[in-house]
Amino acid sequence: MKNYDLITPEGTKDLLFGECIIRRNIEDTLRGIFSSRGYSEMITPGLEFFDVFNLNSRYFPQENLYKLTDSKGRLLVMRPDSTMPIARVVATRLRDAILPLKLFYNQTVYRTEPALKGRSDEIVQAGIELIGSQLKMADLDVISTAIDSLKAFGMEFSLEIGHIGVFKELVGKLEVSDSDKERIRKLIESKNFPALNDLLDSFGSNSVIAALKKLPALFGGMEVFDKAEELIPDENVKHILDELRELYCDMTELCGSDTNITVDLGLVNKTDYYTGVIIKGYLQGHGEEVLSGGRYDKLISEFGYDIPAVGFAVNVNAIQKVIEKNGLFPAMPKIDAIVYAEKGCEVVAVRAANELREQGLVVENALFDDIETVREYAKEKKIAKVVVVDGSSREEE
Amino acid sequence: MDKPIRIALTKGRLEKDTVGLFEKLGFDCTAVREKGRKLILPIPDGNLEVVLAKANDVITYVEHGVCDMGVVGKDTIMEMKGKFFELVDLGFGRCKFALATKKGYDFYRGYGVKTIATKYPNVARSFFEKKGMDTEIIKIEGSVELAPLLELADGIVDIVETGTTLKENGLEVIEDVAPISARLIVNTVSLKMRQAEIEGLIEKIQANL
Repeated sequence: MKNYDLITPEGTKDLLFGECIIRRNIEDTLRGIFSSRGYSEMITPGLEFFDVFNLNSRYFPQENLYKLTDSKGRLLVMRPDSTMPIARVVATRLRDAILPLKLFYNQTVYRTEPALKGRSDEIVQAGIELIGSQLKMADLDVISTAIDSLKAFGMEFSLEIGHIGVFKELVGKLEVSDSDKERIRKLIESKNFPALNDLLDSFGSNSVIAALKKLPALFGGMEVFDKAEELIPDENVKHILDELRELYCDMTELCGSDTNITVDLGLVNKTDYYTGVIIKGYLQGHGEEVLSGGRYDKLISEFGYDIPAVGFAVNVNAIQKVIEKNGLFPAMPKIDAIVYAEKGCEVVAVRAANELREQGLVVENALFDDIETVREYAKEKKIAKVVVVDGSSREEE
Repeated sequence: MDKPIRIALTKGRLEKDTVGLFEKLGFDCTAVREKGRKLILPIPDGNLEVVLAKANDVITYVEHGVCDMGVVGKDTIMEMKGKFFELVDLGFGRCKFALATKKGYDFYRGYGVKTIATKYPNVARSFFEKKGMDTEIIKIEGSVELAPLLELADGIVDIVETGTTLKENGLEVIEDVAPISARLIVNTVSLKMRQAEIEGLIEKIQANL
């Protein structure tokens, strides 16, 4: 039998030293941003029952879940997402809590990714959920938190908004089967114009079909709203567009002119999940979104508590990747002194080291038998001071 | 000037057709034509950088965003899948996926589970899945035509251009699976971060197809 005792599983890795500092810096930064806005942290179990993720509208394909069974043979999964477990808690233990609930999390999620593709199966996500408010101010609260979250890392970023309602209104007017609707959605999501046109042509031609054909092209800046209004003469869609335009203007005002804010009406991923505004964040130099979220007013009702919600998650691993790619490694904390104890002086040495630590120094206890090795070690590790304790404590360079 | 837009081309015929298209757009492709063994080549007047890669790798590079765009066959896209925008059907590199069997063989007869040999197991699997048909799929790396001749498989799912190889080996197409042509794909973030440049290039390309 082959032993796999020297390597980590596909899609996982160990983080060492500087990598850990970067990881914790990112997490601390985001935690600071979230808590300064009145969001409180939640930690949910790494293991959940499969059923939590297997609701009516299966948001998580079963083939992407890490599964195991508990001692009673019940099917468990490694948490693939934090929003569903939080929805579960809100619908149960927090049912009588004062609204709105402002929650944040910072925890690992697990999803199986195709092997050998350079993807991680284990990702740290930090995010917020604002539960119990349908006001525009709630959307803005979440979006401005998203803006600050991306801004905090000092890199060029771009934020994008969309609204699932435009697609839903249009496709709702088409008299085609659900599976055809799903085919249309997929083609819009991948902006596959040739195939989308072919498929829609087979349903005939009217203003709805014409609008759906153009939907994936409706992305860019402010001009998108005018184009969309012209293209889709529909009262409900106009309401949605007005709402989105207002949000877009607010965001531009919040960010200033040097941040790229775009709108994409062809954002139609997870249509069962989202019910309103959708946001995505991108960082220069990373090929996938680093932030994603939106409004999901129907999700918690699947757990039996009908209450609106909006939120987003930041992919902490992705931000770490970009920071490392840009060579922005933090300085390792330096060790100020090493304390060496002559035989019999160990307790005095430990006390001496503690005294130095109280002064704010980083101090190691020397773990060698002779002072020469300690000096060599200190030189190698660039430790400024060697302290020898031999009854009457003295210092050396 | 901004850093160039990086476009990955599938080495071989699609590469040649794409370079031809770029020259039609008025770009100076001397560096790509006289590439030697180099794999990254500039098209300075288009602010483009060409990367030459195998078909599957074009998708990998574009998905990760290390290349902004790519030119790859629909065959590879159907087999590999992946997350990117598939914006333009370039029209060249046309052929098709087809199901072929030995001439005169009645493929759909009987209850037995059929065996299919193919280089494209995902394409074959989803084709038969749509028909609600269980099949046994065997991945073959080289000439797939051999498998039915050696009686390893009942049929093959493969790319068919002219059908000459099939004919010479006593096989025939019994059903088309899907048409194939070259596609222009774009990384999902690049399209948003560099919208003006990429849309400009695509407009030029579409005007010259």
